[in-house]
Amino acid sequence: MHETEIHDLSDDADYAAASKQGSSSMTRSDSSKRSSSSDPEDAEVVYLKDNVTIHPTQYATERISGRLRLIKQGSSLFMTWIPYKGQGSNARLSERDKNLYTIRAVPFSEIQSIRRHTPTIGWQYVIVVLSSGLAFPPLYFYSGGVREFLATIKQHVHIVRSAEDANVFLVNNFEDPFQRTLSSLELPRSLANGTPSSSFTGSPSDGNQERQEDHVSSVQQNNRQRQKNHDPARDLSIQVLEKFSLVTRFARETTSQLFRESLVDGHGPTEKRKNNWASKDHQHQEAALNDVENVPTKVPVASDPLEFDKLTLVWGQPRQHPLGPEEWSTFLDAEGRVVDPNALKKRIFYGGVEHNLRKEVWAFLLGYYPYNSTFAERQYAVSVKKSEYGTIKNQWQSISPEQAKRFTKFRERKGLIEKDVVRTDRSLPFYEGDGNPNVRLMHDILLTYSFYNFDLGYCQGMSDLLSPLLFIMRDESEAFWCFVSLMERLGPNFNRDQNGMHAQLFALSKVFSLSPPMVYTEFEYDKTLRLWEVLWTHYPSEHLHLYVCIAILKRNRVKIMGEQMDFDTLLKFINELSGQIDLDPVLRDAEALCVCAGENGAASIPPGTPPSLPIQDGSIYQQQDDEVL
Amino acid sequence: MSYAYLFKYIIIGDTGVGKSCLLLQFTDKRFQPVHDLTIGVEFGARMITIDNKPIKLQIWDTAGQESFRSITRSYYRGAAGALLVYDITRRETFNHLASWLEDARQHANANMTIMLIGNKCDLAHRRAVSTEEGEQFAKEHGLIFMEASAKTAQNVEEAFINTAGTIYKKIQDGVFDVSNEASSYGIKVGYGGIPGPSGGRDGSSSQAGGCCS
Repeated sequence: MHETEIHDLSDDADYAAASKQGSSSMTRSDSSKRSSSSDPEDAEVVYLKDNVTIHPTQYATERISGRLRLIKQGSSLFMTWIPYKGQGSNARLSERDKNLYTIRAVPFSEIQSIRRHTPTIGWQYVIVVLSSGLAFPPLYFYSGGVREFLATIKQHVHIVRSAEDANVFLVNNFEDPFQRTLSSLELPRSLANGTPSSSFTGSPSDGNQERQEDHVSSVQQNNRQRQKNHDPARDLSIQVLEKFSLVTRFARETTSQLFRESLVDGHGPTEKRKNNWASKDHQHQEAALNDVENVPTKVPVASDPLEFDKLTLVWGQPRQHPLGPEEWSTFLDAEGRVVDPNALKKRIFYGGVEHNLRKEVWAFLLGYYPYNSTFAERQYAVSVKKSEYGTIKNQWQSISPEQAKRFTKFRERKGLIEKDVVRTDRSLPFYEGDGNPNVRLMHDILLTYSFYNFDLGYCQGMSDLLSPLLFIMRDESEAFWCFVSLMERLGPNFNRDQNGMHAQLFALSKVFSLSPPMVYTEFEYDKTLRLWEVLWTHYPSEHLHLYVCIAILKRNRVKIMGEQMDFDTLLKFINELSGQIDLDPVLRDAEALCVCAGENGAASIPPGTPPSLPIQDGSIYQQQDDEVL
Repeated sequence: MSYAYLFKYIIIGDTGVGKSCLLLQFTDKRFQPVHDLTIGVEFGARMITIDNKPIKLQIWDTAGQESFRSITRSYYRGAAGALLVYDITRRETFNHLASWLEDARQHANANMTIMLIGNKCDLAHRRAVSTEEGEQFAKEHGLIFMEASAKTAQNVEEAFINTAGTIYKKIQDGVFDVSNEASSYGIKVGYGGIPGPSGGRDGSSSQAGGCCS
């Protein structure tokens, strides 16, 4: 028993940290209420609804039911949603999920809007969107009560119905960027392009909700008629938004948990967590988790009215075929200028570039060729750059053995590069075999770069970035200058902060290298090239890579959550994903996520975040917990 | 597969000393002359037997270059054993051992067992560090020492298994409070290990699903 207590204590610390996010934001925005909020005696439950359920996955067995409450404390209103204990067949999965999804005392001062959904078929649900742009998963009211919920809120906080959409209720915020985000969605087009989807998950039916309000569990399944003001475009965007809210929540929790563990947990998160979760002492744990008073065990609820959400959604526009030479020529004027760079980027974003065209097009994407340059200008620039490259290269080539003996830094860098180029992509025919001239070229380019940018020098991972460039450019000087452009792109803070640079390179190479470490097929390599050119378009966001990461996480969400992955396991799992990623659907998801997030997404990426993931040390983790998205 | 104990290892040392090759030789019994550059961290796992008990080794293979140190450091926590590797043909990799040790002492738990490995002993003709120097360094710093070759597999099994033996002995001697805080030492108790009253056994079964697949 004694040990159990120790486990529970450690657990407590974990959950103190876990709930800190919620409560600290509460303190931040509402510091004057702090004293009252720390005193639960003051709290008055003004609304309580059982059988409010979230659907973490499309599987009915994985749904989590709980109790939704509005709590009045002083002049503040809070919302909580606490899952029931010990429900469901897959108890362990749901224990984990429950913790993940539990909503602990969110103050309404942090809520931006609430969207009500009253589908003709299925349960009514609401999506609560925070000012930060993050959304909680949809809360399905299995026993009705959405109207009452909104009415209660109205009694306590300022809430207005959006002029543009009668189902959106704005809290605190009168400008309504949420609305703008929604209307800026381009999704109908993309979905109309042939993506099968569950088309009736979220159809709003403005006139219908009142009648349905309290008869949800006995839904009229045949009632599929559409309302007169039904707008299919809106349906689709809502649907995507709904799914997106799941993803944001998940991604935030996952990453913040990951960071928290590596930061707070002094040691062995795997073991500790696993032991805790596996311990038979679920009751204790529950008590620690559910900071609020006892929640009843599951209340019986009617079965699923319709298994309408089993379809897997693929979002974003279907990928197009790669840009070919004929089409490419239409982007150029008679003298070879790219007439509309944005149109080009968009085209490449959706389809990539045919292999033979990459040499030319990548030079534009990377900024080595200016878009407004003519054929002749480029030809000239290439020759100038070639001689410039020769000059820099000569700087190290002219170092005599005697000089090198007295030049430790040079020897060290050269040694590192020599060691690394023979360990980079050697299973590719282009780089394989002893004495391969391309390996030699890679060495020369990297060493020249370390003279071109002496402050930065060489660091591991650079060879991975150079390899595809040399493979495509097939020319030493051009590969070098494209590499220079790429390094410039990888973040404005490179030269100021070497550590940041190194960390970014680490993150980049992890994220970008879709190829498995040992089995390196041409096909995998080609996917890497495709991903690169798509990311370089910076269309639709320069931080698209972040959305790509989320898309990848999302696609593996069931597995990650099902196996209760902790820091160690998650890292291992993600490591092993390389080579297993189905690029096109991931890109489509990423695009859709990016478009959906819109301004909210962009706003939550801290200004100055370079187009890469900052992963470095505790000091960075601390500040970005909430800002990963 | 169930185990009595799981030990978490970390492999550290300068870039290019053969860390990943040692791991590959140990887990897959093969040698890859040009192993891919390790970026960040990679994983390996294998079962061994000590004192008739199945023991699972979960091994974290790290990147060696200086710029990854800040990342590598976070893996010291919760490691029961460390293989500190240098290359007998490159003097500088031996000279850097002290700074690796310093990192380990600072970021690992005090009872971590450290095995010093002079790798590439098949390249005796290019030797730049003598066996005696290696022994001497190990003695001064309280490490176990072995020269090994990932290429010929000489002493590779021994290095990993002797380290595990030392950890196992520490458990028997009561150095670790495995019934309580095993995880902080990079040890997990499974079936047939010294039983922890609650957590351990279930923990091992879930671990087996997550990590050795």
